[in-house]
Amino acid sequence: MAETATAATGAVVEAHGRKRPYLIVFAALGFVTLLELNIGILGLAHAHQVITLIVLATGKAALVAAYYMHLRYEPRWLILIPLGGFAMVMVLVIALVGPTLT
Amino acid sequence: MSEGEGAGHVEEHHTTIWPLVVGFGAAIAYVGLVASLTLLGLGILVFVVGVGGWLRDDIRSPSTSFFGHLPAAVVRVSARKLAVWLFLATEIMFFTAIIGGSYALRVKTGNWAQPGEILNVPLTGLNTFILICSSLTMVEALAAIERGDTRRLRMFLLATFLLGVTFLSIQAYEYVKLYFTEGLTFMGAPGGVNPLYGSTFYLQTGVHGAHVTGGVLAMAYATLKAFKGRFTKENHEAVELVGLYWHFVDVAWIFLFTIVYLI
Repeated sequence: MAETATAATGAVVEAHGRKRPYLIVFAALGFVTLLELNIGILGLAHAHQVITLIVLATGKAALVAAYYMHLRYEPRWLILIPLGGFAMVMVLVIALVGPTLT
Repeated sequence: MSEGEGAGHVEEHHTTIWPLVVGFGAAIAYVGLVASLTLLGLGILVFVVGVGGWLRDDIRSPSTSFFGHLPAAVVRVSARKLAVWLFLATEIMFFTAIIGGSYALRVKTGNWAQPGEILNVPLTGLNTFILICSSLTMVEALAAIERGDTRRLRMFLLATFLLGVTFLSIQAYEYVKLYFTEGLTFMGAPGGVNPLYGSTFYLQTGVHGAHVTGGVLAMAYATLKAFKGRFTKENHEAVELVGLYWHFVDVAWIFLFTIVYLI
């Protein structure tokens, strides 16, 4: 259970003796979304732009899963459940897309 | 979070027949989809009765964590939370298959629209931000009830619900505009763009929209339960579980937004 809440605004919530930076994560998600929308200003080649966008999306998803879905605070083995499902389907996706790319 | 709860709440865990009724109704409805409309109607009826009975029971019950007969400190993840994560694993497979299949079609057939050529990227960027805001309000709702602050719980749950409705409203507006003004239909696309572009667009965003709709309904129920004062500092696992689903919907959209709108 949460022992304390350091700020009524919810900027950082302490629970289980750990700080939970919900607002900082929110700011990061907003900033990255803004960057994604204006990715053109970086002047990257198309392939690099695609890779950058995928990396940014993966980073955003990781932030949500780690802090908002609390995977960071759960037992380590729990992450194997979503990752296991993802890994199984990636086999299908690589089988579908792979031959076209090579 | 619910750690630390549970070992003493084993006796409060109730068995119920309603999930079985819901599953039975869904099974009849699925068979009815391919067999007969009467069976489909009967399945839907059983399903709705099951959901009604389940909700009627649930709204009167405390929302305690159930860890079985082992101490919560040993198990650490409650039975219901584990079940939700297993469910989310199947959802990850479902979305990855749909997104991956659509991307494979795109790569193999070509002639796809460029970002912003047909779709309204700034509007959807705003919608993405709305969904991110809803994730913040959701996690703040959980943090509030962990502190025992029921007033902020109600406020944040209601905000999450309203943000979800706003997301769906903007998506509905976008669909109407695309379908009737831009000519992006289920089987066709404007300007010589591959017709599969429309099919895969509506498939991916539609499936996600259906998930958001489910989340909004769940949020409405959780909000109602919160306003009835059914969640406390000790009994609030449902808030965490509905939040897990809501954040997953956000994660799915993060990838969809990038792949469908930006690439």
